[in-house]
Amino acid sequence: MSRLSKTDVVSIDDLSLPEIERVFTLADEFADALARGDTLSIANGLIMATLFYEPSTRTRLSFESAMHRLGGSVISSADMKASSAAKGESLADTVRIVSGYADLIVLRHPHDGAARVAAEYAPCPVLNAGDGSREHPTQTLCDLFILRRKKGKLKGLTVALCGDLKFGRTVHSLIYALARFGANIVAVPTSGMDVPNYVLERLAAERNYSFSTVTMDELKSLAGGLDALYLTPNAPHQMALFTGDLGLDKAPAGEAPASLDAFYVTRLQKERLGGEIKPGDYVRFDARALKTHRTQEAVVMHPLPRTDELAYELDSDPRAVYFEQAAVGVPVRMALIAWLIEQNRKKRASARDSSGLIRFKTEPFPRCVNSNCVTRFEGAHLRPRFRLARTVDRASLPLRCDYCERELRIEFVGHARSHRYYKYDESLYGYVRQWIEEQSLAVFETVKQAEESGYEPYRRGPQREVMNSAEIADAVNSLASQIAADIPDLTNVSIFGVVSHGAVLATRVRDVLDARIGIHAPCAAIDVYGSGEAIHLLDGASSLSVEGRTIIIVDDVINSGWTIQRAMTMIWQHGRPASVKLAVLIDRGHLAVPIRPNYVGKNIPTAPSERVQVRLAPPGTNGKHKTHDRATIYSMLEAAKAPEQAK
Amino acid sequence: MSIKPLVALDAAAVTRSIKRIAHEIAERNGGAQNLALIGIIRRGASLAARLAAELHSNGEKPGIPVGTLDISSYRDDGKGTPGDPRLLGRDIPFSLDGKRVVLVDDVLYTGRTVRAALEALADLGRAESIQLAVLVDRGERELPIRADYVGKNIEAPRGQRVYVRLAEVDGIDSVIIGNGK
Repeated sequence: MSRLSKTDVVSIDDLSLPEIERVFTLADEFADALARGDTLSIANGLIMATLFYEPSTRTRLSFESAMHRLGGSVISSADMKASSAAKGESLADTVRIVSGYADLIVLRHPHDGAARVAAEYAPCPVLNAGDGSREHPTQTLCDLFILRRKKGKLKGLTVALCGDLKFGRTVHSLIYALARFGANIVAVPTSGMDVPNYVLERLAAERNYSFSTVTMDELKSLAGGLDALYLTPNAPHQMALFTGDLGLDKAPAGEAPASLDAFYVTRLQKERLGGEIKPGDYVRFDARALKTHRTQEAVVMHPLPRTDELAYELDSDPRAVYFEQAAVGVPVRMALIAWLIEQNRKKRASARDSSGLIRFKTEPFPRCVNSNCVTRFEGAHLRPRFRLARTVDRASLPLRCDYCERELRIEFVGHARSHRYYKYDESLYGYVRQWIEEQSLAVFETVKQAEESGYEPYRRGPQREVMNSAEIADAVNSLASQIAADIPDLTNVSIFGVVSHGAVLATRVRDVLDARIGIHAPCAAIDVYGSGEAIHLLDGASSLSVEGRTIIIVDDVINSGWTIQRAMTMIWQHGRPASVKLAVLIDRGHLAVPIRPNYVGKNIPTAPSERVQVRLAPPGTNGKHKTHDRATIYSMLEAAKAPEQAK
Repeated sequence: MSIKPLVALDAAAVTRSIKRIAHEIAERNGGAQNLALIGIIRRGASLAARLAAELHSNGEKPGIPVGTLDISSYRDDGKGTPGDPRLLGRDIPFSLDGKRVVLVDDVLYTGRTVRAALEALADLGRAESIQLAVLVDRGERELPIRADYVGKNIEAPRGQRVYVRLAEVDGIDSVIIGNGK
């Protein structure tokens, strides 16, 4: 059992401003104590476990040094990846077990949102030492601490951020933290590496920041002659109420700040370079930028290690504080641990807001699109969790993963009680909010997924029949003819139908081929969106074989084509087919991927807002029941039409 | 039997094809506003960079995101047995959510490389659409894949090979039809 009360620092936002100030006060004291050579015993009898799933020598050594300096002990595993993780143990299990050995866990992990998962499962406090491309709160604390030490305060400071402001999440954490303290920010991005709009939107929404473009001669050599974006708090009201795009080219021209207090030069991450950004285009900060009256008092910060973006000539300049910035790593981490020990005597309200979480009650659960998100690795015990994102979008519902904060755009939403689904547009936003509260929101990637989950479309206006049962039978015959004419050796063919209508059609096509040519091809059903066995055999097939076969995928309607793409992914998990052909009853002409059917029963041109729905008698029913077969076309809900059936 | 190598596209024709595809991309997508280009290493990546440059010189705003996928058909375990193409690496430092992605490769043949690329892209987010641009479509498809933009259709018998050479990689731009070995 941990001797410390449960207080996690996963994000800099987990600490309130007074708490950050307290950590800084402690860091000042510890820096002095270290300078004096004092021996401390604050952490006597406490054990810290450092779990580093990826190497980060400086962060790890500074944490371990901090704990030793405080009189505590450290246990660690030399290489987590080689130990329990290699045996397939989940992070959730590992931190629960390690909690039995230590009072505090420091975690470094390659997956986005991993520290949040660890904090939720470990009974002892968890400190995040970097999780994927997400947060690194102790790095942010060090950045803020050195600024405050050099300038005496944070509120009202003007800090210029230079270089890659787009990809580095730590620079985004720093921007948010500076904004919480009320600092002004001058963004000087390398061309193409601007501050992303979602960062600006969050500053506007949460901190009332306004934006203007400014021209400053001393920045020209840094920004390639472009204007800088000036971000200031306490915006006039009309600025805070923006929607839509914000960016360098959209912000109005404004007046440059009278002086700059600091430059924060970001590291060039070579792996981020792509396309037309060349290493030579990246910022190269040298003494020139510090020569004007506006910048002569500015300090220069950098997270180190540096490449070419920071000139060595600056090292002897007293305004270059980056080595000091690195050196405060130990006292700042000592302060954070000591602050954690102080929490034992306090009742502390969690800074984290659990309201607004969207809980999905029924499958299908949405999946985070970030392939590095911890929810993609932790397995079934971790159900994905989302919030409504702030971004305004007319055509899709933006959700944000609660673990990695990555946005997911939902095109089809459903109401779990009425079992209706809708193509999302902004007129539904109010309903979606209500459904979230009622825990009755369902979300779908495709029409097929919605329909296979038992949802009916919300339709508007009359339906019209585009194929009756005779026409569907003709189309099936036509598909069989096209297949027989195209494929010389039908003995090597397997027919895979996409659940559920495609599977019915697959057996029908097979039966026609059987009757005409006497070849009984094995049939299987591919369950693209199900949670069970992905491919299962249908009647007449003895074994599932993919390797070396010619596989015909059969589906009723091809919409975007994503369903077929997923079906191919599932087939490839079973082997390497000699070839794959695609047969569809109806091609409605709105493919969004470079997939094209080889055999088409009927082409039915549609508008994007229209849907084509096929109904088929289940397999095994005799010819009489097939008269119920039909394909209908209808319009999906459009903007300004309320879904009254949902109420 | 030896067949004399045949030049299907010379340097000027390669340049014209790239220029035309860039125009078609801009036309179909109403500019390059929401575009991202993903090139398949190596020659597809060079073509993607050239298409981006071409779009810029046609007046589109600079900064079209360009990424790469590394997809190879040969196992790297030293055994040298050809397997199906699979993803070896990627460099896509931006979100694909809501983007119109143009996947770029030099030659479209069986479609297996494109299938592996689609699987990799589907894993990276929800693009609005994925379009396929190739310098050469040589037919003989084994999968239901079709390109949206094609530089040149070349019908070459199975025994023959189509070689795309690009200045960035090979020092010269050309497309040549030659013998298998």
